[in-house]
Amino acid sequence: MHETAAALLGAVAVWLVHYIGGTFFPSLQIIGFDEAMAFVDWNVVFLILGMMIFMAMFSETGILHWLAFRAFRLARGNAWLLGLILIVLAGVTSSFLNNVTALLLLVPLTIQIAETVGIHPSAYVIPEVLAANVGGAATLIGDPPSTIVGSHLGLGFFEYAVEAAPVVVVSLLAVAGLSLWLNRRELAGAKRRLSPALVAQLEAGARISDVRLLRKASIVGTVTLLLFFGGELFRLPPSVAAMTGATLLIAWVRPDMQRMMREVDWTTLFFFIGIFVLVGGVEEAGVVDWLAQAVGRLAGSSLSLATVLMVWLSGAVSGLVDNIPFTIAALPIADLLSATIPAAKGSPALYWALIFGADLGGNLTYLGGAGNIVAVGLLAQAGYRMTFGRFMRDGVVVAAATLVVATVWLLIRY
Amino acid sequence: MGKILCATRGGEDSQRTQRAAIALAKESGDALVFLYVADASFLDRIAAAVVVDVEAELEQMGRFQLALAQEQAAEEGVEAEAVIRHGHLRTELMAAAGELGITSIVLGRPQGRMAVFEETDLEEFAAELEARTRAQVRII
Repeated sequence: MHETAAALLGAVAVWLVHYIGGTFFPSLQIIGFDEAMAFVDWNVVFLILGMMIFMAMFSETGILHWLAFRAFRLARGNAWLLGLILIVLAGVTSSFLNNVTALLLLVPLTIQIAETVGIHPSAYVIPEVLAANVGGAATLIGDPPSTIVGSHLGLGFFEYAVEAAPVVVVSLLAVAGLSLWLNRRELAGAKRRLSPALVAQLEAGARISDVRLLRKASIVGTVTLLLFFGGELFRLPPSVAAMTGATLLIAWVRPDMQRMMREVDWTTLFFFIGIFVLVGGVEEAGVVDWLAQAVGRLAGSSLSLATVLMVWLSGAVSGLVDNIPFTIAALPIADLLSATIPAAKGSPALYWALIFGADLGGNLTYLGGAGNIVAVGLLAQAGYRMTFGRFMRDGVVVAAATLVVATVWLLIRY
Repeated sequence: MGKILCATRGGEDSQRTQRAAIALAKESGDALVFLYVADASFLDRIAAAVVVDVEAELEQMGRFQLALAQEQAAEEGVEAEAVIRHGHLRTELMAAAGELGITSIVLGRPQGRMAVFEETDLEEFAAELEARTRAQVRII
């Protein structure tokens, strides 16, 4: 079943149990429609909607293809340098676009680049995926756990970025170093002489497709970033900044609105709403309290232990299941632990542990993130198999190293 | 003169099938057509914002895979045509064979876990293809 269908089914089940079951058994009156709506973080929903509209137009410019091809040219046949540039490109891009968009734009061209230089595409694609998951933690809009927890804490864009930067920068360095080392044999076997026909074919698919749109999207993107950063002065929620940018771009570019609305991925927005309602129901039923008490018993009164547990448990779970429902479900646990552990009161440590755990743990397996699944699907479309074990060979090492970076930083910082 | 259709995804497992189709074209003097079917159904598994024109991305990647296959054919002195279609492989392969007047179809035997077909499944599909298109199907 599609994840959105499952989330909506869960939300509807919560309401049916409340209204129909609750009529006969009052103890089943857990959460009604109005209370459920209060659990939906509309800042998250509108932030994602605004970014989707922006990304839909930005993706039509062809800029990422052009950048990836420039990386290929810049590297001048040096497979190692090319790998490094692609890792940085994926990491930086994913800080501002969601991972799925970044990887859908980067991976097809990366596969072609790898084939041109004569190496197995996984040697470039997996490091890109790993870098995208790490880069997503850099900003409030990079990865859903960052958006969800950042919004819950009321963090501004700048405030979030400053706090996340040390972990993300060191983690990206770790991704680069480890990925190049893990794929050293493949990279060493790269061809020196490239087929001119293939390079021409590569170039043909890497042109900026709409220069005027790119100019407009860049200007509006800069304004939106300024709103994200400067908005904190006016207590402007990130969702308003994102919607302002999207609306400005729509007003300026004047796309076909029917088409524009079709391009918005409504399934994702309904997925978020469904999950918020479902988790609200679970929280009201007392399940979250029970889980929080279990984690609390393990951690005792130690904030350090609770932080370590939160980073690694979040990392392990996010490596196996979608980190969006997990983050929404784990948020009330972080709330409860932050309220009950004496040293955690007033400290955001456990929330940051959740963000880093959920974002970085996604690298563990190829089920750990939607971007991972997209990359594996694109590789399969080009005829390259990616087994669970092959992804984990790189993923486990990188996930462990970056979770260690996050843990050490949080223990020092808090 | 006949027309050979070789469905390919590119990648390591398709090389063998491509080489066989090229050899067949060279030997028989038949025209050779490489077919890439862009199938975005892998996105059905995720609930993430997909705002990119995935079909266009896959088409571009398919064009490159076909260029690789054509280059391999050119090295053997065989000029090959390249066709891209969107949708599911079975349906599109069947349709392409009919529309292009194909007389012979080359399919790759399943290799490993990422293969499109199971072994028995492929034989059933080959029989169905032969019955519907009247083209001769060879499993390599």
